[in-house]
Amino acid sequence: MTGPAQDSPQDLAAAYALGALSADDARRFEAFLATSPEAQREVQEYREVAALLALGGPESAAQSSLPPSLRERVLARVADQKARSLPAAPRAAVSRSSAVWVALAASLLLAVGLGAGLVSARAKLAAVETELATRNTALAQTTQKLTEREATLSSILEPGVQMFQLTSSGDPEPGIQLFWNRQRHEAIVHGFRLKPVPAGKAYQLWFIKDGAPVPSVTFRPEADGDAKVQGIPVPEGGSLSAAAVTVEPEGGSAQPTTPVLLVGPLKQS
Amino acid sequence: MPDAASRPSPGADGDLVARAAQGDERAIGSLYDRYGAVLYAVAYRIVGQRADAEEVVLEAFSQAWREAPRFEAGRGSVAGWLTMIARSRALDLVRARSRRDRITASAAADRPDTPPAMGEFRPDPGRALDTDERQRQVRQALETLSPPQRQAIELAYFEGLSQSEIAARLQEPLGTVKTRVRLGMQKLRECLRPFYFERGT
Repeated sequence: MTGPAQDSPQDLAAAYALGALSADDARRFEAFLATSPEAQREVQEYREVAALLALGGPESAAQSSLPPSLRERVLARVADQKARSLPAAPRAAVSRSSAVWVALAASLLLAVGLGAGLVSARAKLAAVETELATRNTALAQTTQKLTEREATLSSILEPGVQMFQLTSSGDPEPGIQLFWNRQRHEAIVHGFRLKPVPAGKAYQLWFIKDGAPVPSVTFRPEADGDAKVQGIPVPEGGSLSAAAVTVEPEGGSAQPTTPVLLVGPLKQS
Repeated sequence: MPDAASRPSPGADGDLVARAAQGDERAIGSLYDRYGAVLYAVAYRIVGQRADAEEVVLEAFSQAWREAPRFEAGRGSVAGWLTMIARSRALDLVRARSRRDRITASAAADRPDTPPAMGEFRPDPGRALDTDERQRQVRQALETLSPPQRQAIELAYFEGLSQSEIAARLQEPLGTVKTRVRLGMQKLRECLRPFYFERGT
């Protein structure tokens, strides 16, 4: 069996499960781990051991117990997350409240209609309803946009997220910020001052893993040169050294077919 | 605590995660009832403060809620998964705190080198099934280690130090530290195998 230099892989399983390997050793060990069901079992077992370590505090020490309010706070936070992750929810709320307005407007108009004639009141009601529907749509769109922004913001602010810059030459200078969430193996890309791409073409993101480009998402910038892509899977189980962007056919390429436009290192912290 | 009638009948750990993945937040409540105390213990031992430990437990369960759809039942126990999440969040918090402390130069001088190494945690009796028994076994298992083995393992797990960092901290050769971690963990594994948390499947 071969493995990382010096230590045999079996010897590393315990330290790996404890999170005690250096980043380099951990990457090397993970490469081995992917190929060895036996090592996977070992790591799994050692993780169970690690999970029990928390219970090993001394008995004589001052007592401390779970605060009674914590359960409610945990559930409240989860409920909050659930509400935020359902974009339909705020929209439903919007239409409920606007239904109240429609009803109110209708009853007012009906009251007026008693004097001025129901026909014209009905026409007005229809106009108000149309107007309300238009505003309602606009409001729903705004709410949706806000929800999306909030989701982006909170995912960028999560602990362990690092930002990397992909840069280029050119005037004005385009740029890309790549937010890498290592825990979730996901990235968000925010591009700005990107030149428009011809029809049928798109920008394509590449991760440079173990020295070779791994194709990722394609995207087209907005009219103002901005671009935002979320939930990009980041390849696992190798050494990522950089991310780069090229222009490719809209469906994406397996290998870059044009020179690199933007590039930046993904240094391990 | 909600009354028993409003709570669904408890299932296996893995089923609870599956229900959370489908959007049933009550499953998180059940997981909390089972493992909240364990997570709090991990968090407290790492961060050494109640308020921070509570925040870690909150964060850990929110993360578990988000990641429940990706939980792989074949890859270990739910408790192990939850504990790992809590440990990472706790270490993040300690690191963020030490970054903050470095920025606030005055605070740096007051900060002890080592966070409180021995937790003062005792789980609520009767809250989690078996916790007392497990706790006894874990303590006994830890007693079988040599003090340096135990120290190396605790520095790795509770302070998030790599083996090289432990060697530097203790001014011992790296090889010595590696051996301590390996032999100590082997011994713990032998002692604790019957007491692992319930499997995810």
